[in-house]
Amino acid sequence: MLSGLANPRQAAVQLMNFGLILSTAFMMWKGISVITDSPSPIVVVLSGSMEPAFQRGDLLFLWNRNVLAETSVGEIVVYNVKGKDIPIVHRIVRKFGKGPEAKLLTKGDNNVSDDTELYASGQDYLVRNDIIGSVFAYIPFVGYVTILLSEHPWLKTVMLGLMGLVVVLQRE
Amino acid sequence: MYTSVVRLQNVFGFFTTVAFVVAAFIAASDFLTERAPIVRTLKTTSVQVVRGRPHYYSSKKEEYAVINFSLDADLSSLFTWNTKQVFVYVTAEWPAADHAKTNATNEAVIWDTIITSPSADHLANIGPVAMKKLRKSAGGKSIDPNRGKLSLKNQRHKYKITHPSGKLAMTDNVTLRLHYNVQPWVGLLTWDQDVDYGYWKALKNGVSKRFKLPAIKEKKPASAGAR
Repeated sequence: MLSGLANPRQAAVQLMNFGLILSTAFMMWKGISVITDSPSPIVVVLSGSMEPAFQRGDLLFLWNRNVLAETSVGEIVVYNVKGKDIPIVHRIVRKFGKGPEAKLLTKGDNNVSDDTELYASGQDYLVRNDIIGSVFAYIPFVGYVTILLSEHPWLKTVMLGLMGLVVVLQRE
Repeated sequence: MYTSVVRLQNVFGFFTTVAFVVAAFIAASDFLTERAPIVRTLKTTSVQVVRGRPHYYSSKKEEYAVINFSLDADLSSLFTWNTKQVFVYVTAEWPAADHAKTNATNEAVIWDTIITSPSADHLANIGPVAMKKLRKSAGGKSIDPNRGKLSLKNQRHKYKITHPSGKLAMTDNVTLRLHYNVQPWVGLLTWDQDVDYGYWKALKNGVSKRFKLPAIKEKKPASAGAR
């Protein structure tokens, strides 16, 4: 960085490169969002309620379009409960009716009872709109680092510090 | 140029690339293994409709269908080296009230089971004794096709099913259907299919005969206070 001050052009290039990497990552994320029609196309499993299929830290890929068939019983979906901001990954076990108004009930494979208790008060069933995607692909463990970072905030500081140290120490 | 940081970055980058390529090959190998699941028998053994409440503190009375069934199926070909578990479930399906107009149906799971592959036995949520038994049943093999052989006689339902309207008695054209969901170690999740895709054959004979739910079975007046 100190050498960059002596050469403003090089510093500008570095800054642009950094911006490019950030915007590419953002565009890719939003691009996948558009393709899958899901606000959050890749999610990390946060609880053990779908064990043994999904462990904490596993990465799930979501698809939210009904091209060939409707979202139906047996699919593992990610949904948001009204008023709560935590996405939940559970399996649909009941479906009454058809279309956007169909009533859906979910349950975690590892839970004894269904999700009625988890829903907002007065809400007995989900509708299609509450769902942000159905799981179609799976990679184990890769997302665990995000769980570590959110559960131990000091790790973020350590990581930022390390990165800064690398930038400062890196001389050509 | 060749600082230890750069080397570390290169090693990590190479590691992730190799890991993802290997994972992609493993996931792709699923498509090259044959799947030929079959159901030999799927039939109801007893069907009842009873009155009940959704939970203890509810005053709402609903009708519940209590369906027991027999199942004989061979899903052993679903177990490969990339199979983590197979989730098997039986649904009851019946036409909705406006079926004639909209073709809508109702569907509810009445029974399910998780069959872990021996490689995933340690993840199963069971007690130590059952775990020991489960591990022993595989005989040290990492793939055990015997896990996929299901033979249930007069299996008790796991879930009593109802309908949001609370009415279920005398419903006609109900069918039971066997489904499965294959959970891989890495790759695509797959479900039972109606048509053949390449090496994957459709699930044959997975639907029961149509049946009709009976009228409500009246319980004998309970001695402990009829509220």
